Amino acid sequence: MSDSLAVRLAKTTSPVPSAGSTSLARVSQVLDTFAARDSNGEVLTAVRHYPAREAQWAEFPEWIHTDLRAAYSAKGIRQLYTHQAAAAEAVHAGKNVVIVTPTASGKTLCYNLPILNAILGDTDTRALYLFPTKALAQDQLAELYDLNQRLENRFGVFTYDGDTPSDARKSIREKSHIVLTNPDMLHTGILPHHTRWTRLFENLRYIVVDELHNYRGVFGSHLCNVLRRLRRIAKFYGREPQFICCSATIANPGDLASRLIEDNVEVLAENGAPAAEKTLVFYYPPVVNRALGIRRSYINEASRVSQEFLKHDLQTMVFANSRLHTEIILTYLQQANPQLPGRAETIRGYRGGYLPNERREIERGLREGRIRGVVTTSAMELGIDVGSLDTVVMAGYPGTIAATWQRAGRAGRRSGSSCAVLVASSSPLDQFIVRHPDYFFGNTPEHAFIQPDNLEILINHLKCAAFELPIGPQERFGDVDLRDLCARLAEAGYLHLAGENYHWTNEAYPADSISLRSVTSDNFVIIDITGQPLVIGEVDFPSALTTVHEKAIYLHGGQQYHVEHLDFKERKASVKQVEVDYYTDAIRYTQVRVLEVAATATKSEDSSSCDLADMESSSAGPLHLAHAWSHGDVLVRSQVVGFKKIKFFTNENVGAGQLELPENEMHTTSYWITLERPLLESLPYAISERQSGMFGLLHALESVATLLLMCDARDLGTAIGERPPAPDADEIVVLSEAKDLRANARNPWMSGEKEFFEPNLYLFDAYPGGIGFSEPLYRAHELLVHKTRELIRACPCEQGCPSCVGPAGDLAPRAKEAALAILDRLCG
Amino acid sequence: MMANAGDKFSRLAALKPARGAAQRPATLRAPDETDALSRLLGARIARNHCGEHLAIRNWFATPEFCEPSPVALDLLTKVPARQASASGRYKNRGRDESISRRTRAAVQNPEKWLFLDTETTGLAGGTGTYAFLVGLAWWDAGGLQVEQLFMRDFSEEHSLLHELSARLAERPVLVTFNGKSFDWPLLENRFTMTRAIRVPSLAAHLDLLHPARALWKLRLGSVRLVELERHVLDAARLGWHREDDVSSALIPQYYFDYLRGGSAKPLAGVVKHNQMDLRGLAALFGKINSLLDERETSHQLADSLDLFGLSRYLNRRGEQERAHSMCAQALGAGLPAEFRSQATRELAVMAKRRGDVERAAALWLELVHDPLDGVAACEHLAIYYERNARDLQRAVEFAQLALAKLQRQCAHSRDPYATARAARAEKKLLCRLERLWHRMERSAGRAHAPLLAHSAAAVASSRSR
Repeated sequence: MSDSLAVRLAKTTSPVPSAGSTSLARVSQVLDTFAARDSNGEVLTAVRHYPAREAQWAEFPEWIHTDLRAAYSAKGIRQLYTHQAAAAEAVHAGKNVVIVTPTASGKTLCYNLPILNAILGDTDTRALYLFPTKALAQDQLAELYDLNQRLENRFGVFTYDGDTPSDARKSIREKSHIVLTNPDMLHTGILPHHTRWTRLFENLRYIVVDELHNYRGVFGSHLCNVLRRLRRIAKFYGREPQFICCSATIANPGDLASRLIEDNVEVLAENGAPAAEKTLVFYYPPVVNRALGIRRSYINEASRVSQEFLKHDLQTMVFANSRLHTEIILTYLQQANPQLPGRAETIRGYRGGYLPNERREIERGLREGRIRGVVTTSAMELGIDVGSLDTVVMAGYPGTIAATWQRAGRAGRRSGSSCAVLVASSSPLDQFIVRHPDYFFGNTPEHAFIQPDNLEILINHLKCAAFELPIGPQERFGDVDLRDLCARLAEAGYLHLAGENYHWTNEAYPADSISLRSVTSDNFVIIDITGQPLVIGEVDFPSALTTVHEKAIYLHGGQQYHVEHLDFKERKASVKQVEVDYYTDAIRYTQVRVLEVAATATKSEDSSSCDLADMESSSAGPLHLAHAWSHGDVLVRSQVVGFKKIKFFTNENVGAGQLELPENEMHTTSYWITLERPLLESLPYAISERQSGMFGLLHALESVATLLLMCDARDLGTAIGERPPAPDADEIVVLSEAKDLRANARNPWMSGEKEFFEPNLYLFDAYPGGIGFSEPLYRAHELLVHKTRELIRACPCEQGCPSCVGPAGDLAPRAKEAALAILDRLCG
Repeated sequence: MMANAGDKFSRLAALKPARGAAQRPATLRAPDETDALSRLLGARIARNHCGEHLAIRNWFATPEFCEPSPVALDLLTKVPARQASASGRYKNRGRDESISRRTRAAVQNPEKWLFLDTETTGLAGGTGTYAFLVGLAWWDAGGLQVEQLFMRDFSEEHSLLHELSARLAERPVLVTFNGKSFDWPLLENRFTMTRAIRVPSLAAHLDLLHPARALWKLRLGSVRLVELERHVLDAARLGWHREDDVSSALIPQYYFDYLRGGSAKPLAGVVKHNQMDLRGLAALFGKINSLLDERETSHQLADSLDLFGLSRYLNRRGEQERAHSMCAQALGAGLPAEFRSQATRELAVMAKRRGDVERAAALWLELVHDPLDGVAACEHLAIYYERNARDLQRAVEFAQLALAKLQRQCAHSRDPYATARAARAEKKLLCRLERLWHRMERSAGRAHAPLLAHSAAAVASSRSR
């Protein structure tokens, strides 16, 4: 017999509070149902209760303008939270600050209060607000507009982005005290035309960077360079603006902020906002087949959990990790909660592909409670105001601890009680998290890395900088001396040295061809041609290849569409409504070509052959079989080559198809392990088993690497390829390998069993230019292989499962053994 | 990390080849090369406290000085009625457009004029585009004095801009071709970028692109300066030729090539090109001046399309009398079919506005069968017969005809906006018809009863449709 939830809670954490609010009663009722079903305690692996927290109040600082205080007071804000007061004081004292608080803690007031106060004191003061998306800027505009009305419109506040009508731009440039924009617009629209913005730059005192934690990886590296350019222009007009950053909880907010703005930053991490009671539950889908390590589909389980909440009239938000999964869950939930005649749909989807008006309508519906359930992707992680929800269900681990808390924070934003449930998928990372809840609860959230000196990014922004203002002899970008780079750009014909300064000498407008958001800013429109052609949505370039290729089933708003035609040149997909019982999943192939080896270490029988002695390879005895590990620059080519048809509910594979889509090319950095011939030959397995073992090993390596790096699983890509014949040869044949291992093992068009002679196992940064994971992995090689061996050894499955080397069905029979055997030799 | 930046850079460069960039080795220019360049361009070195640049001065007998007519100047400085109301929304915009007394005084004195045309390092605008050659011209001794300021390198920009600023202080009325949206904003940028030389304030800015477009777009399709020279200014008669003219698209590259130590020879062509543009600009002013001046127009103009263009230009600036007479002349001289009904309609509207209702009605009558203007023509005729001719019967007939035409048009339209527009027009027509019948009933009594019954039935059926 299972324990009741109350008993189990008493064992694990603080006791369940008495049912104060009705929503709390209903939440615990649902949780009890789950607990009752979970007979041997295998499903709910963690139930943590977080009691409500009282607000900590502070008075408005003395120096705040009385009118401003009155305006806030009229909005119902008579006192500040402690962190708001502290932030206002720090800004008032002229410091750069980063404010770290969870969602709905009133962080916008932290910067609006001191900035508006400064504007009321000196009407020449100007401020620039940067938000990662246009929607967030719109949200903030509404808030500031309201305050402005209460202050008799004493300041000008406008958004300036791609949607701003051109006849309004001139007046915005002149009149706006606060300009709300995004990094992309700053990059292409404001900085290259700074002479039109003299009024702003000559008086620029504050720069607000909201949602700071978004600026990591490539986007962050770009932003850092955009800010370098911004500071440079401000300096030209005689200003050194002060930065105010806001971030969700990450491990290194101060570090990230000071890297981004390249100056000292004061970190304000105290949070004085009240918090609702919250229960966080880890849900491990029950086992169906123990031998194969197969559990119930997490998508089905997440739908079921959500349905349970919805049945108890709890407003619920479901997060899925891909667009496809949002649509599948949406389909399930809409079937379970049919639309009542004459009433609006109560369960809605919300993700990137929806048109802006539709999104606004859904946000309003959520705030007003008309919509009871919403299925979304990471789109809702950002601070879009949708009011408070009762429960959050996460279908799959969001990839990082920070994102998990961010998503969980969507429940119970203001008051009452709330619950967040994480339903684990079969991916190794998810498995690890639900099996080791202490790892999750005991660890700080992830680090955010940026690599602003990534040469490709730096060069691009250097071009833009030269276009904006000739580059002087003493100029630096962070620690980088620009002289040498400028000289090289001059050789390539972009710059020209006149006097002491480098000037831009090219007809092109450099910012236009540089997108801040990795690959391309193109998108595809989706046109429903069932009746009169109608645009129903849009998809960004990278996901278009996997979601709207020809013959795909595209899901939008719970409706299925068959993609009739993908017009690649015109960037549009024609779809027709259909009713089928399957969905499609694209298969992607990846090739890696080594461009340059930065460093290599080897471990071989003859220890004297080590060419880089920075590892303790001298300890290698004669028993060790040869292998090497390296890191360096690579060219990654990937292509969507086919797709699978997968049946709803049973997830059976019911067919496949081939596709001919253009290749994507990316220059990035990678870490790789080279398995030398003697090592492979020493393995007592058949060729197919060896091959399969290598794929399994890579699968496990990737999982461990994401844990070691504390990064998002999507930040790393994997591939296996033949080692180049000579380290510096560049024309080599590379073998391809599918990112999706299951797809690869079964794939019908991979010609037979071709063995790798001396394969390279690549783990590459999934961003053009790389974001600095390869070198740490190279240094942590020993730890990585040891941890990977532990992971596979400790896994209770017999022949492999998604949690270690991949699902058994997709691998050769003894793949798990082979993978372990390779690891034993790697560990020595 | 940056240690091997050089190698990485060359690899990156190999991956993404610089498009069309000249790969010449950067050599130092020999010291006497400056003199060679000056000789080549026919320039002398200008010096001021900001530094040096080259100045090229030439005097040309053509175009000849042309006395600006006050009427033409008034038209050129006036803001079109529609544009003025639109800019009212953003208040500070209308300010520099309105004509102050100072502007008027400056404009009327040709000695205050400065023709300007620049050659730039690109068309993209923004802060990274430079004007490396600034061509200036003014009337002198019955002909045109041209002065071109050229920077041999970016470091000479300060002294060039300083010189330009001095010229503009003497002659603050700028005359350009597309300078309002291109040359002047670009120069404003350049001045701002110096942080030392203030942006010169202009007394007035006459941009000839807009009048040229209004006058000749109908006939020529394109109003590039070269086209205008050939077809409007009669370049051949003036002895102008552009056979060896450089292509504008190549100009930035010529300058970049020269900067990197390449040949300076193409720059001589660029200087020539700029001279031709300035002379063309001055000549174009003469042409527009004479067209807009009332005294000369009628006998000098031959092409009816130009007359029609002129009529529209005048109309938009509130010169209705002249606009009317030009339009009538254009129609009299015979217009191509595609413009005839448009001109007829405009003439009708103008005739009506000046109270010549009979003439307007005659013109509308010509348009009754026009596919585009038929409905409007019928409606206008219905109004005319109701109010002016007092023939209610004919008014009804035309209103019904308009209704029928409208309905036929709607039946073929798929555009929801057009349908909505048509619905509104239909409602208006039906109201008119109701009123007309009502009036007919009252005034004519029983005499027209059969006709009335017939009309009522027609409307009823049209409604049910």
